[in-house]
Amino acid sequence: MFDVASSKAGAQVVLATSADEEYPPENIIDGSQDTFWVTTGLYPQEFVITFQALMNINTVRIQSFNVRKITVGRSVSNEPTEFELLREKDVESTDGQLQEEEIHCGGNLTAQHLKFTIQSGYDHFATIHQVHVDGNAVHS
Amino acid sequence: MPTILRAKCIVVGDSTVGKSALTQVFHSDGTHYPKNYTLTAGVELLVKAVNIPDSNDCVELYIYDSAGKEIFYEIVQKHWDHPSVVMLVYDVTSETSFDSCAKWLERVRSQKPEMQFPGVLVANKIDLDQRRVISPKAGKDFAQSNGLEYFEVSAKEMQQVEAPFYFLANEFHKMYKERLEQFKTLA
Ligand SMILES: Nc1nc2c(ncn2[C@@H]2O[C@H](COP(=O)(O)OP(=O)(O)OP(=O)(O)O)[C@@H](O)[C@H]2O)c(=O)[nH]1
Ligand SMILES: [Mg+2]
Repeated sequence: MFDVASSKAGAQVVLATSADEEYPPENIIDGSQDTFWVTTGLYPQEFVITFQALMNINTVRIQSFNVRKITVGRSVSNEPTEFELLREKDVESTDGQLQEEEIHCGGNLTAQHLKFTIQSGYDHFATIHQVHVDGNAVHS
Repeated sequence: MPTILRAKCIVVGDSTVGKSALTQVFHSDGTHYPKNYTLTAGVELLVKAVNIPDSNDCVELYIYDSAGKEIFYEIVQKHWDHPSVVMLVYDVTSETSFDSCAKWLERVRSQKPEMQFPGVLVANKIDLDQRRVISPKAGKDFAQSNGLEYFEVSAKEMQQVEAPFYFLANEFHKMYKERLEQFKTLA
């Protein structure tokens, strides 16, 4: 089991609805908690992580700030389309520290892409500092 | 590459104070002033980008020109979730429209009480000098006690119409920069 969402593992952020080039979406999967992606106003805000290959997903861990409600969807198609809702999470607000959410998927859930949608926030702007996905490639 | 911020700007106030006139003059860069009154039924959305001085950034204002007539309030309110910035308008020749400001502000604040949002108070129709009943001082005092920035404008004469919109866009941008400083300290 390893972080299949990291850029080192060949994952990519293929779509993000906000773009401040100082805080690009690649920061979500760069393995560092110091860097982040920031939303630049209005909700919902979305990003999609595409894995190197079809993966078995065990746990999804999200580190964020100001996120109130987030939904996670998965897709097993080649293209990042046909998403199916996996989970909806209400995230507690934090003061001066990152929010941490874990979503357990049991290990037999497969995905080629994960879509994260910040449905609402505690403030006008929210961040995603890191997404970590424990999983491994599906061997066919 | 410029950073594009997006802000939802709701424009509120009594009917006929000139909300649609202001948003249309601003949106058309002063080329369109609706001389004849057409009541807004519900909400009209106009989008306009504002460049932020001394930066590469721009703020796209999603302007929700809302009906002032009471019968539309139920519909209007449904469009007011998560406002980023607020523009409250009254007509300097109408005492009633000025008295209603507190009510409109209360209605906006009830949408999202925990979020701070920049707001402006806009005194419109200052071209009707003879008929003016609300003094600049009364407007300023109300603005100050409610944390709003005060502007005097005339949509008809296209006087100062851009100023309140620019102010809101700049405040939103400032807030973004402040939040970024906070976000950097989190890890
Ligand atoms: N003299 C003068 N008339 C204005 C000014 N701004 C708007 N008006 C006129 O006032 C009337 C009402 O303006 P609107 O912009 O439609 O008013 P509104 O606030 O959008 O009204 P509702 O949509 O019913 O809420 C129109 O006839 C405008 O031409 C102004 O600065 N000076
Ligand atoms: Mg109108």
